Amino acid sequence: MELENQEIQTFVNTVRSLSDYDFTEYSDKSLKRRLMKILHDYHLTTESLLIKISENPEFLERIVKDITVNTTELFRDPAIWHSLRYDILPDFEDLSTLNIWHAGCSTGQEVFSMMILLNEMGLLERSDIYATDINSDVLEAARKGVYRYRFNVGYLNNFDAVIKENPRDHNIYHNVPYSKYFVVDKVRDNIRMKDYLLNKPVYEKMDLVTDHNPFDRVFDLVICRNVIIYFNYELQNKVFKLFLDNMNQGSVLVLGVHETILGPYAAYFKKKFQAYYKK
Amino acid sequence: MKHDALVIGGSAGSFRAIIHLLEILAIDLSIPVFLCLHRLKQARKGFEETLANIASLPLMEPFDKEKIKPGIIYLAPANYHMLIENKRTIALSTEDPIQYSRPSIDICFASAAEIYKQRLLAILLSGANQDGTGGIAAVNRHGGYTLVQDPTDCEITTMCESAIKLTIPNQILTIPEIIEFVSLL
Ligand SMILES: C[S@@+](CC[C@H](N)C(=O)[O-])C[C@H]1O[C@@H](n2cnc3c(N)ncnc32)[C@H](O)[C@@H]1O
Repeated sequence: MELENQEIQTFVNTVRSLSDYDFTEYSDKSLKRRLMKILHDYHLTTESLLIKISENPEFLERIVKDITVNTTELFRDPAIWHSLRYDILPDFEDLSTLNIWHAGCSTGQEVFSMMILLNEMGLLERSDIYATDINSDVLEAARKGVYRYRFNVGYLNNFDAVIKENPRDHNIYHNVPYSKYFVVDKVRDNIRMKDYLLNKPVYEKMDLVTDHNPFDRVFDLVICRNVIIYFNYELQNKVFKLFLDNMNQGSVLVLGVHETILGPYAAYFKKKFQAYYKK
Repeated sequence: MKHDALVIGGSAGSFRAIIHLLEILAIDLSIPVFLCLHRLKQARKGFEETLANIASLPLMEPFDKEKIKPGIIYLAPANYHMLIENKRTIALSTEDPIQYSRPSIDICFASAAEIYKQRLLAILLSGANQDGTGGIAAVNRHGGYTLVQDPTDCEITTMCESAIKLTIPNQILTIPEIIEFVSLL
């Protein structure tokens, strides 16, 4: 099935006129793929989709959620977690409060990864953790902290790589049981995060395109991974500005492993250890 | 030059063919090359380096929004889909795997086909699943030129057999023939 750029344009304009959501500056190709999937999954044509979202606000909300790509993992890309553990976070050990913001946290695996790491470093109690996403369903899932086991066996490998092993010194091995942080229940086919981790973060629905920082905080660490790949260059710049305005001097922005700051805002950061330090 | 870009897809059993192809690409090749290979999640850094050492042209895993330049080989990063956003830019995505694959050859080929249309050359090599068939179909549909490795020449036949069964590639060639084709680019 093919979808004309004009149809995508019409869809974006319709959504914008009906709601606060604005996909104008999303990456074309990804948006197109998502739309094609939506038309296919709901057996709709572009016209019938437009009619349905105009008549039914709940359906519009549903479609907006379907547009977002929510794939995530526990300790996705272990190398960056190693860097956080051995290079980046040690510089923040003296702060009385460490303010952390996960922007585009999806179903929460990244937030739990951070809390587990902080706890191993003795920093969890001193950390305040905030997490946002445009999609309220994924936030609900994050609050529950229950994940399928069968498709996510890789989580345990990632946990081992980040928490148990030390790539900088292979003589060191931390024998940390999974049960310290989550219960692996193969019968019910799930991985359940422990209650003390569920209650810690503050989750808030937030659209990076249109909303302000919803928290009365300025951050020491902003984690925004695999979110801006869905934005075009102009929108990426707006988001970098939003982060910059809400970061302390010397604080750190962590992007996904294959993301980088292009354009004017690069000048406000210094890149070190795969992270961006606010100058 | 009849083509504005080259896409190569491969999976299990394609490694040796890939090495050969990368060795013989003309060093003054004036088009970009997009390489979409399935690989193990964990085998990450070493793979890029190995290929980069062999290739006649510079090879890199692109960042999201990386500018496309002629004479560069762009290797789809592990665990990401690589899409050709427009003639100037590459985009990455973490969308779910397609046909159990991320990077997906289908996504990479189809996105390139939309951009380069009849000026695209696509090569599909040995592999163990059905990824690539949709990609070859998309390239054909946009008038691009498609080469599929002869299944009798493949270490693992599934991928090319599937493509040949469901699409009509321009040519079905053995590795030596593909190499000759590419060396004349
Ligand atoms: C691929 S997930 C990344 C999850 C996690 N950060 C990781 O890297 O594993 C991208 C997330 O960005 C969210 N997102 C997309 N557009 C957004 C926007 N405009 N504002 C806030 N979040 C957005 C999606 O809902 C999705 O949950």
